[in-house]
Amino acid sequence: MLNLATMLPEGHHVVLSRLPPGKAQKRFAIGIVGVILGVFALITVDPFSGVRPVRIDAFIPAYATAMFVNDMITAVLLFSQFSMLRSRALLVIASGYLFTALILVPWILTFPGTFAPTGLIGGRQSPSALYLFWHAGFVLFVIVYALSKDSKLGMRQWHGTVGPAIGKSVAATVAIVCIVSVVGIAGEPLLPQVFKDSTRFSPLWLYYVGAPIASLCVCALALLWTRRSSALDLWLMVVVYLYLIEVPLSYYPAPVRFSAGFYAVRVIGYVSSSLVLLVLLYEIIMMYSQLGLRAQRSEREARLTTGDAVTATVAHEVRQPLTAMIANADASINFLNRATPDLEMARQALRRIVSDGHRTASVLASIRAIYKRELQSRVDLDVNVLIVEALALVSGDLKKHRILSRLYPGTAMPVVKADLVQIRQVLLNLLTNAIDAMTSKDGPRTLSVKSEACAGVGLMVSVSDTGDGVVPGDIDRIFDPLFTTKREGMGMGLSICRSIVEGHGGRLWVSPNTPVGAVFQFTLHVDGSAPTSV
Amino acid sequence: MPPNSNTSPVITIIDDDHSVLVATQFLVMSFGFETRAFSSAEQFLKSSSLDETACLISDVHMPRVSGIELQKMLRSQGRNIPTILMTAFSNENVKSLAIAGGAVCFLIKPFDSKTLLGCITSALGRC
Repeated sequence: MLNLATMLPEGHHVVLSRLPPGKAQKRFAIGIVGVILGVFALITVDPFSGVRPVRIDAFIPAYATAMFVNDMITAVLLFSQFSMLRSRALLVIASGYLFTALILVPWILTFPGTFAPTGLIGGRQSPSALYLFWHAGFVLFVIVYALSKDSKLGMRQWHGTVGPAIGKSVAATVAIVCIVSVVGIAGEPLLPQVFKDSTRFSPLWLYYVGAPIASLCVCALALLWTRRSSALDLWLMVVVYLYLIEVPLSYYPAPVRFSAGFYAVRVIGYVSSSLVLLVLLYEIIMMYSQLGLRAQRSEREARLTTGDAVTATVAHEVRQPLTAMIANADASINFLNRATPDLEMARQALRRIVSDGHRTASVLASIRAIYKRELQSRVDLDVNVLIVEALALVSGDLKKHRILSRLYPGTAMPVVKADLVQIRQVLLNLLTNAIDAMTSKDGPRTLSVKSEACAGVGLMVSVSDTGDGVVPGDIDRIFDPLFTTKREGMGMGLSICRSIVEGHGGRLWVSPNTPVGAVFQFTLHVDGSAPTSV
Repeated sequence: MPPNSNTSPVITIIDDDHSVLVATQFLVMSFGFETRAFSSAEQFLKSSSLDETACLISDVHMPRVSGIELQKMLRSQGRNIPTILMTAFSNENVKSLAIAGGAVCFLIKPFDSKTLLGCITSALGRC
């Protein structure tokens, strides 16, 4: 099964966690940093310093709900990026966002005035304890992210299955949230008195809450800065910077809840929570449009390739009689130019030119017939019978090269309308290629031919060998006209095969066989008509 | 032009395409050479023409034994017959194999009759 990471060639990663930030992104990030600094200066210095706190109890639940949704979506997007890219660092930061989302639940339950005047559960110090765990915890996740993204190459990628890895991370994150909640709620009586009452900060807040968060933020910023490589790193730096700004803004100018600084902190918190989400969404839209463009391009290339195959076939088939005609014409001139013209030989050569001319015309007519996808020559085809016949035709080669052949005929095979000669040609070509791939190889030599019914399509035939397989770089070119890996091959076989199969409305493709070799597969439509997209 | 006599050197032509085989034979005959024609390399190898052939003109792409394999076989038998290889469909791969195998000329079909004559002349001159 293909995933996005393997589908796109190296250097074409279009996801946030791989792509270096562009100039516009950097400018935008610097802009945010500047604006927030301005807000900070405005609130701490002037005119809000004298504004009396206004308590809006509905603000906190609205804020927490929005944050929860934001962080949850960000976590899901990052987990899905992990499943594509298998980077441990992504798993860590996804868990970080899950952590910030989940810890909002105990935080809002303990916040005074939201559900109960002194908080639904916990004591006076619980909200600030949870605030500490929430902010310090997330920044710790960022630090682990920064450390794991540049660890040794083998460690950077996750090699196991994705599902259990995500499951374990989610379970561990939930467990951490539960533990810190218990500490913040049940252990409240043991905590330092950072709040004097339900609204006023004590100076202890700076030592027990502010300082730890600020120092972790500085560490995280330093680590991210020295190890920065992707757009995700850039935006996490901005997020950590916003976390850092929250600390002084909570305490200055007024160390009370519901002050201008308090509301500014929540707004900044909301911005920081939305940032990575917005950038991720933007990147996803860009990725879709890029993939769309790429798909259009490859379709166009495929059309050109088919056109090339036709041209190459025509050129080859016409070149032979043309060669004969030119040689005969030259010969007849030579015979006539002799001192005693050899009229008889000249006449023979000229007659041959006439017949070669007719031959050329019939070649053109038959090629035209193939590519006009004429349905008249199509008969009801039993593909299993055709496979047995084709295997019989190559049985000599199979014996000679000691190749074991296995046939897996499908049951309830649909009858397809197809050109018997052409499809036999495709099958023989694939069988011959498979045999050629195994003749120069040690180890087991097994040729397997399988047929199966495909619901909604028609049928599929697979020819697998245990040869050297197709070099990954050649997989795209193997169907190109004139491309060959055989020493004396012309590189026409597979490109003609593909034209024939597509002329029947099917597809022909190659994939690696396990453990070694290649599998060539083609489909045929029941009605033998080409799908509209071709 | 070489004299059309019994002493004229024998040119052997091999091509699996009948029209091209006969036409090339006519052309070489019109130059005044003795010719032999075969539709496969195996037939030529079994024939008595093997000893009398002074120059070989062979197609590259033939079923079973290709022109390049034939060239190799003749060499391994110690026969140094100057060979002109021709093909309707060339890629660099085949061309370099042909030249490496010691072919005098590598012609792309359809070829010019003067070019072929030049190739034959130099092939015979080399003997």
